[in-house]
Amino acid sequence: MTFKKSNEAFWWSLFSAGGVLSAMFLPAFVVISGYVLPNQSSADPGRAPYEHIHGIVSWWPVRVLLFGVIAFTFFHVAHRIRHVVNDLGWRHHTAPLSLVCYGGAFAGAGTAAWLLLTLPSVAQ
Amino acid sequence: MPDTTITLDVFRFQPDGGGHARRSTDGPTFKAYRVPYHEHWVVLDALNWIKDELDGTLSYRWSCRMGVCGSCGMMVNGVPKLTCAAFLKDYYPGTIRVEPLTYFAVERDLIVDMDGFLGKLKSVKPWLIRENEKPVDEGEYLQSPNELASFKQYSMCINCLLCYAACPVVGAEEDFIGPAALAIAQRYNLDSRDQGAAERADALSADEGAWGCTFVGECSEVCPKNVDPAGAIQRVKVDNVKDWYRKLLMPWGHR
Amino acid sequence: MKQRYGTPLGPTWFLGRAAYRRFMAREATAFAMAVFLVYLLLWLRSLGQGYTAYGQMIELAKHPISVFVHGLIFGAVLYHSATWFNLTPKIMPMYVAEEKVPDFWAAIIMGYLPCVAVTTVVLWAVLRSAG
Ligand code: SF4
Ligand code: FES
Repeated sequence: MTFKKSNEAFWWSLFSAGGVLSAMFLPAFVVISGYVLPNQSSADPGRAPYEHIHGIVSWWPVRVLLFGVIAFTFFHVAHRIRHVVNDLGWRHHTAPLSLVCYGGAFAGAGTAAWLLLTLPSVAQ
Repeated sequence: MPDTTITLDVFRFQPDGGGHARRSTDGPTFKAYRVPYHEHWVVLDALNWIKDELDGTLSYRWSCRMGVCGSCGMMVNGVPKLTCAAFLKDYYPGTIRVEPLTYFAVERDLIVDMDGFLGKLKSVKPWLIRENEKPVDEGEYLQSPNELASFKQYSMCINCLLCYAACPVVGAEEDFIGPAALAIAQRYNLDSRDQGAAERADALSADEGAWGCTFVGECSEVCPKNVDPAGAIQRVKVDNVKDWYRKLLMPWGHR
Repeated sequence: MKQRYGTPLGPTWFLGRAAYRRFMAREATAFAMAVFLVYLLLWLRSLGQGYTAYGQMIELAKHPISVFVHGLIFGAVLYHSATWFNLTPKIMPMYVAEEKVPDFWAAIIMGYLPCVAVTTVVLWAVLRSAG
C-alpha cells in the first residue's frame, strides 16, 4: 500500500485548540451577547453599560484573549464544516471546499485581529 | 418443534449457484426460516439449526461460540453483532434479519471477504519492531504493570470486524485503514518494548490512516471487547500532531 | 473487482442510527458557532464605532429573532461543550501518579470544572457594577 502525505495534523491542531477554547468560553459569551447586554440597557441607563463593556474589551489582556478565542474558533468551525460536508458526500475534488472553509477562517481571524487592534482605548 | 418459533430472514448469495437452484445472476436475496425459539439460544444457534435441519447450503463462519474467535460477526437487524452473543430473546417475537457484515464483499451467504482488511492490517506492521533484536540468552524485554496497562485494552481485539461494519468512513473510502487496524497499530506504538513507531508513521499519518476518521465513534459502541478503537485513533492523531510540529520546528532532528 | 455489500452512503446516511444522528448534531454545532462568530465580529465593530453604533447593535439584539437565534446558538454551544468535554479523556487520558483517572472524573476535572470557572469569571466581570 502507498500512502499520501497529509497536512491534516496542522488543521486538526487548530481545530482542537479552537474546540477547547470555544467549549470553555462560548457558553458565557452567548449568554452575555444574547441576554445580559440587551437587557442591561433596557431601562435607559445612558452610557454606563457601553463604557463598562468597552472598558473590559479594550483592556489589552482581554483583546488578546478575545482574539485567541475568535481566531481559533474560526478554524475549529472551518475544519468541522469541511468534514461535515465531506461526510455528507462531497469526497472528491474537495479543493474548493477546503479553500472556502479555511479561507473563511483566515478572513474571520484577520478581521478579528484588525477590529481588536483598532478598537480605541478608553479615554482617561 | 416447540410451539414457539421465531423467524430469521437470512441473506442468501451463492455466486456459483451453490447447491441452490439459483444462478449467480439471480443476485442476493433473503430467505425466511422458522426456527424453534429458546430463551438461551443465540442467533448462531438458530443458524446452526437451519443448516442442520432445513438447508445445508447455508454458509457462515463460526468457531468458538464464546466471543473469542471473532469469526461469527454479522449484521443482526442492521447492527453489527457477534452472532454467538446475540440472544434470540432480545429480538423475540420480532423477525431477525441476518446479513453479512456491511461494506465488505460477500463470498457467499453470510461470509465476507477479509483480504482487504488483512492487507490494511499488515500495512501498519502489527508486530514488535526493534532497532536491534537482543540475543535470546539476554532474556526477555521486561515491562512494568503500568506499561502493560497503557496498551492492554487495545490488544484485546479479536479481529471480528464489527467496527468496520459500523463505520461510515469505511463505507465511503475503500482505502481507509479502519478502526481495528489503527487501534492495533496504536497498541504497538504504546508498547514499551516496541521501537517501530517511525515505520508505522507513513500509514498512520496518511489520509487513509487516522486522518480519515471523523470520530463518529460507533466503532467503539459495537466493539464486543471494549477495545475503543475510536479513542485509539484520536490518540494516533495527537501523536501525529506532535510529530508534525517537531518536524516543523526541528527539521534537522531525528524523530 | 468484488462488489461491496451494503447501501451506498447517500447524503442521509446518518439518519439510520441514533448514534449517527448524535454525531451529525455534534458536527452541525459548527454552523451555529459560525453564525455567532460573525455576529461577534459585527458587535466588536459597533463597539469600536462608538456609543451610537453600539446602541443600534444592542437594539438589534433585543429583537425577538435575535433572542430566538441566540437561544438556538446557546443550545448548540452547550452541546458542543458537553460532547467536547466528554470526549477529551478518550483523546488525552488523564493520569495521576501513573494511575489512569476514570473518564467520568477526567471529563469533570479537565472540562466541566474549568468551564464553570471561566463562565463565572467572565460573567462576574461583565455584571460587576454594570447593573
Ligand atoms: S476493535 Fe473491537 S470491533 Fe473492531 S475488530 Fe477488534 S474486537 Fe472487533
Ligand atoms: S463464534 Fe467465536 S466469536 Fe462468535
